[in-house]
Amino acid sequence: MTWLVAGRELLTRGRTRVFAISTVVLVLAVALGVALPAILSRNAKPERVGIVGGSTATLTGIATEAGRLAGVQVIVVPEPDVATAEARLRSGDLSVVLVNGREVVVKQVPIGGASSAGGTLPGALAQLAGLAKLFAEVPGAAAAAANGIALPVRGLEPPSGSLANRLTGLFTVVLVWVLISVYGSQIAMGIGEEKSSRVVEVLLSSVRPVQLLIGKVLGIGLLALAQTAAMVAAFIVAGFAAGSSLVHGAAIGIVVTGGVFIVLGYAFYCTAYAAAGSLVSRQSDVNSVIFPVQIPLILAYALSYTVIYSNGANTFYHVLGFLPPTAPVAMPVLYAAGDAPVWQVVVSAVLCAVGTIWMARVATGIYTRSILRTGARIPLRQALRREPAEAR
Amino acid sequence: MELELDGLHRRYGTVTALDGLTFGVPAGQVFGFLGPNGAGKTTTMRAIFGVASLDAGEIRWRGKPVDERARRTFGYMPEERGLYPSMRLLEQVEYFARLHDMPASAARAAARHWIGRLGLAGREDARIDTLSHGNQQRAQLAVALVHDPELLVLDEPFSGLDPGGVDDMSGILAERAAAGVTVLFSSHQLDLVEDICGPVADLERGERPRLAVRVAGDADGAWAREAGADLGEIEAVRPDGTVLISLTKGADSQRILDLARAAGLVEHFTFEARRLSEVFRQVTGASVGQAEAEHAAKTALSTAGATR
Repeated sequence: MTWLVAGRELLTRGRTRVFAISTVVLVLAVALGVALPAILSRNAKPERVGIVGGSTATLTGIATEAGRLAGVQVIVVPEPDVATAEARLRSGDLSVVLVNGREVVVKQVPIGGASSAGGTLPGALAQLAGLAKLFAEVPGAAAAAANGIALPVRGLEPPSGSLANRLTGLFTVVLVWVLISVYGSQIAMGIGEEKSSRVVEVLLSSVRPVQLLIGKVLGIGLLALAQTAAMVAAFIVAGFAAGSSLVHGAAIGIVVTGGVFIVLGYAFYCTAYAAAGSLVSRQSDVNSVIFPVQIPLILAYALSYTVIYSNGANTFYHVLGFLPPTAPVAMPVLYAAGDAPVWQVVVSAVLCAVGTIWMARVATGIYTRSILRTGARIPLRQALRREPAEAR
Repeated sequence: MELELDGLHRRYGTVTALDGLTFGVPAGQVFGFLGPNGAGKTTTMRAIFGVASLDAGEIRWRGKPVDERARRTFGYMPEERGLYPSMRLLEQVEYFARLHDMPASAARAAARHWIGRLGLAGREDARIDTLSHGNQQRAQLAVALVHDPELLVLDEPFSGLDPGGVDDMSGILAERAAAGVTVLFSSHQLDLVEDICGPVADLERGERPRLAVRVAGDADGAWAREAGADLGEIEAVRPDGTVLISLTKGADSQRILDLARAAGLVEHFTFEARRLSEVFRQVTGASVGQAEAEHAAKTALSTAGATR
């Protein structure tokens, strides 16, 4: 019975145009997302820096050093005068112009004001040229510039997770979040459809509510799994083909962790979505009842950015990594950022599995008590009661 | 008795839907379950399929309490019709056949058979929500029949049907019963289903036969008043002067004819069947309409603001 129900879900959903199109779009998005940065960085053009007046050798040295600091390749182009240089700057031939000892000219004032250009090529140029001017006034110091002027930075510990790993973690988390909320709402909508069309009474005359529920989440879950597999395959294939740093080494471990938590997260949430869907009699009410179900996921997802872009997750997020409702999103992030060792991942996965069993019990109870009741939305407190006060 | 309902009780809040309902349905018969809205017909039928719970009582099929396995040999058409709106007709009927334990190939063949039998041939690939209301009703019936059920339970199968549809439906019910299927259906439109539930109705009517007699020139049936209580009692006098006499048990109808002849030229003399609705009034003391209005008022009081 359960497999018949699951088979119907697979068949009727899997062959819809929406499913085909969304699969293609998602796979393409993943492939592009992985391959594009790699392709772009390989073909990155060197920046052209115009210099006006002064000693060409000195200015070339400053420009090259600035390029090294900003992480770009630099071509120095001597210009006869400021007017010509500005004209070529406007036309886009040059990215930045260094006017001997006086100023750095760019096409647009940087966002946040002229002095906030640190970290970019114009910023590095401005700082180095300023230092060079200082050296010129302090006899004997000029030679130091030739050996590089930035102080070396020494870290006490190795980075907890490389940026590439963190980005892979982010990709995984987006996937978990999108799949659970998209397929979760499909479950709720599907149950809303069965209730609003009243087909559920015919179904339940030969199938038990639990069979109907499990069949539905199984069928939709298999579709979600198929789509996930396609996306992960696209991620790996496109990553290797484009030589992206995202797929190397530890990243595979992150993808595996993500895969485990996608399955766990779906298992935890699918019955919750089903219970939410069973509370309403009209499909249009489904969105309002599934929102509370999504709140933990939204929280974990929104806060994941604070972990991806910083060293060392805060305690609060670490706790989220062990709570079953938030673990499917939080734990892959913590693992990818190097903030959680493998044993913590395993503990979190076990807790999540236990939580899933608990959730399945509660949700199945709500579903069984609510699925045949029509009319106004059923208050959750009533749906949780063993013997609901029925009226008709 | 194939299907036995024994002492069914069900209360919804302050409304009593079932109060010790007991009856049996014999095999191979079209058994009409008649009564006004609110009489508990739907609750009873839903209880047979386990989709409504009972406070007390037992439902037995062939002597054993109804279980899941037995239910898969039943066919059901609920009061609130429902199919998957976006699913294709053939697939849908086939799906329900398989939910009733039919193997895939047999399910498809049976689905095709019933779609054709119910006049839906050519619409196999149509989505349910593109079918007309009448055709959706037929699809619903196909779903109830496709697995060749041993018990067919239809809740208000005639509601919303045009006269042609009523004929088709009653034809199919009779045919199924003739094939040995036990058929239980409900209706609150007593007059509409009179022909179909023959045995029950005749049982009630048989108690006291009714005579309709008209004497020329006598518009208020004065002649009949002379007949004593040992013959029968006057139920009503129609505007054309026809007197309806409910015969006393064992009374001789020829003595009434003699009385009428003595009064004048007898234009009309015949035994007349009672309408089911009249039987209902006789038994309950109220018309179907009155009973329904009363129930509606009670229900509105007890469920104000609650769910249906």
